[in-house]
Amino acid sequence: MSGLTSARDAALPADNAPGMGRRRRFWRDPSATEITVVLLLTILVLFGMVYPAIYIFYGSVKVAGGVLADTAGFTFENYVRIFQSGFGQFVVNSLFICITATLISTAVSVSAAYAFSRFVFRGKRLLFGAILFGQMFPWIVLVNPLFVLFARGGLTNSYAGMIFCYVAISIPFSVYMLTGYLATVPKDLDEAAIIDGASRLQIVWRIIFPVMMPGIVATATYAFLLCWTEYLFALAFLTKPDMKTLPLGLYQFFGDDSVDWGAVMAASAVTTLPTLILFLPLQSKLSAGLTAGAVK
Amino acid sequence: MRNDRLFIGLMLAPALLILAAFYGYPMVENVRISFTDLTLLKLKKGGDWVGLENFREFLGGREFGHLLFNTFVWLTALSVVLRLVIGIGIAVLLNSPVLKRFNIATLAKLAILVPWATPPIVAVIVWRWMLDPQNGIINQLLLSLGVIDDPVAFLSDLRTVWPAVVTIIVWNTVPLVTLAILASLQSIPAELHEAAGLDGATRRQQFRYITLPLLRPTIIVLGLTSVFWTFNNFVYVWLATGAGPGTYTNVLATETYIRSFVDFQLGYGAAIGVVMALMMALFGVVYFWIVGNKMAGEEA
Repeated sequence: MSGLTSARDAALPADNAPGMGRRRRFWRDPSATEITVVLLLTILVLFGMVYPAIYIFYGSVKVAGGVLADTAGFTFENYVRIFQSGFGQFVVNSLFICITATLISTAVSVSAAYAFSRFVFRGKRLLFGAILFGQMFPWIVLVNPLFVLFARGGLTNSYAGMIFCYVAISIPFSVYMLTGYLATVPKDLDEAAIIDGASRLQIVWRIIFPVMMPGIVATATYAFLLCWTEYLFALAFLTKPDMKTLPLGLYQFFGDDSVDWGAVMAASAVTTLPTLILFLPLQSKLSAGLTAGAVK
Repeated sequence: MRNDRLFIGLMLAPALLILAAFYGYPMVENVRISFTDLTLLKLKKGGDWVGLENFREFLGGREFGHLLFNTFVWLTALSVVLRLVIGIGIAVLLNSPVLKRFNIATLAKLAILVPWATPPIVAVIVWRWMLDPQNGIINQLLLSLGVIDDPVAFLSDLRTVWPAVVTIIVWNTVPLVTLAILASLQSIPAELHEAAGLDGATRRQQFRYITLPLLRPTIIVLGLTSVFWTFNNFVYVWLATGAGPGTYTNVLATETYIRSFVDFQLGYGAAIGVVMALMMALFGVVYFWIVGNKMAGEEA
């Protein structure tokens, strides 16, 4: 749980600190063989991890004929081609649906997290557990009944239907992360404000919200990424070409018997780049939060 | 006080209502649909009640055993075990003092994140390209090394299709395990190893008797969570093979989707969903029993 982060922070300084001598005696100096083996293995592992991702970007800027062709050259032609064939609409759809869903789910989750972190009430543990359970819920089972309900209510092929789904799938995670964040904001802040005559609502919006902004941004970013890459609900509920989101749009470059790999890779790059850029700064918060979430 | 209760209610209401509308009501509706012969054509007026017919057909069908085996053994067990073993292996490697000495520990940690930041849909696509028989880099490599004489269609050859799918899943999901284990490794006080070292314990003994037991809680939680995520996952198998060749890699999740949205037998698809939900509920009981006991043990 919280041990994951705090203990890691505690363990790190030991490597750079003056206490190095003591540590080195324990670790001894690694032998030349050990150094070679570790370095070779590391290079191998890192290559395997990073190579497929690089291949996406590499493949997207190669001239037709593919990566292996002798006539290798650099081109943005694939990107131009996909946007000429209407890929921009998918980007717009994805951006609109995901940003709206993220804003709603974050607002809803902040208020729920505030209630969970600041009050004691009957059924609190049960409710909190029930919300977290959403993270493990088999979505595939929900798609069928939701489709029936959406079809009757005219929500298939609509922004509203997708936004509803994406708000709902990001709430469990967001509530968990934000509750954890709020636990680190001292309650003295609230109490001081109450003494000054602020209402509860004023406290949340004027005091708590700004203080926990970094946590909110991190949580919202992850919620956005969750929606940005979601495939199943989009596949089931969006059948009209001009309503499709990015993950679905990617697959239009797969023909029946041939694949336009250059276009597919360019589209993949457009889908991946935002996640890479948003994800990397978040990762330390996330890996601790997600695994801790599994424990609670 | 009374004001507080109203306030709490108002703060929680939006989240709870949305979740009830998304998870609760559809699940009830799903059970009802599973007892009907609902199809796309009957959507407006609703299907007719057929009792347990859908369940009888599904549970008694020839495909059922095959689906269970694929879902539990190939998809879930194999990929979860590999993810844990490889994840722990990489974490131990990245924790090596050698990397710190050469100042590449941070770089290595960043690199390990890349697969995790790659959306699953894109991960499947790029691997499909790399595994492609005509212009896939992996075939080219194996051919030029002389390992194979003819290109292998990894994702449609029965001998290679499951290993290939599992490779994609493991590549995409191993970073979370690695990072969690790495964090746990770094939280183990150096004094423990130091003391053991003074007592003459070898590195291997230290790993076996100190490191592993301390990692156990994290490993158990990661393993159980992975089971949930993998069992319910639809994307990897569907996008990598479309449950094929034929129905060779069909799993419960893809079968639900195919029945509901390819054949539009919504009643039958709902019945499969009910069976899957019951299996997950069983997992859930085990999960909360183990994790609950573990946490109770920690508090004691």
